[in-house]
Amino acid sequence: QDEPNLSSDSDKKVILLPCKNPPSRERVNLWLEAKKQYECLQKCR
Amino acid sequence: MTTLTRQDLNFGQVVADILCEFLEVAIHLILYVREVYPSGIFQKRKKYNVPVQMSCHPELNQYIQDTLHCVKPLIEKNDAEKVVVVIMDKEHHPVERFVFEISQPPLLSISSDTLLSHVEQLLRAFILKISVCDAVLNNNPPGCSFTVLVHTRDAATRNMEKVQVIKDFPWIVADEQEVHMQEPRLIPLKTMTSDIVKMQLYVEERAQKT
Repeated sequence: QDEPNLSSDSDKKVILLPCKNPPSRERVNLWLEAKKQYECLQKCR
Repeated sequence: MTTLTRQDLNFGQVVADILCEFLEVAIHLILYVREVYPSGIFQKRKKYNVPVQMSCHPELNQYIQDTLHCVKPLIEKNDAEKVVVVIMDKEHHPVERFVFEISQPPLLSISSDTLLSHVEQLLRAFILKISVCDAVLNNNPPGCSFTVLVHTRDAATRNMEKVQVIKDFPWIVADEQEVHMQEPRLIPLKTMTSDIVKMQLYVEERAQKT
């Protein structure tokens, strides 16, 4: 029986992606709203 | 004038630094142009002597930086065949893929002056193409998100293990849902050939986005 070809196994093409997700649009919207409010408060002072 | 050779210890690093800096700008610009995030988080900056839009959202910026930190060791060793920015719909199915196909030609020597000025000029053209690509793409459905895929070889993944731990930013093998796209339309955007890197950028767009 043929032995498994380890070199071709390690040369196998793979596609990787980060396990973590980027911030959601909703989360970014909340941050943007808070930023606007903060900037507004700074101007009003 | 400094002359670098492929054998120089830091040659791969120089190429990886240049490409990762470019990919960072490109990812920000893609997210802006394709309206993945609200335009309010983007600010106009100047990169490669042209105006670009860069996010000022700390978490998003950190995410993009961590992603590229992990990709960098692969580029350094010429092991990143493709870096792909994928825009996904609400169901996490890809609607658009911005594919950066990278290869580093064999090289004997090059002057660092030639390298910097010429490559910067070529990368500028990519940035300009990305900034107008919405003219040739259909609108994306609301609620899209994004991810970055890297095409490499199994053996090469060892090179990015250390940085994944340091950054606490683990990577996994993509499954079929994240990779497969039905009947993609291919839109070539730009190709460059320089002494240090060959790169082509094209977009794969899903025929039916909604």
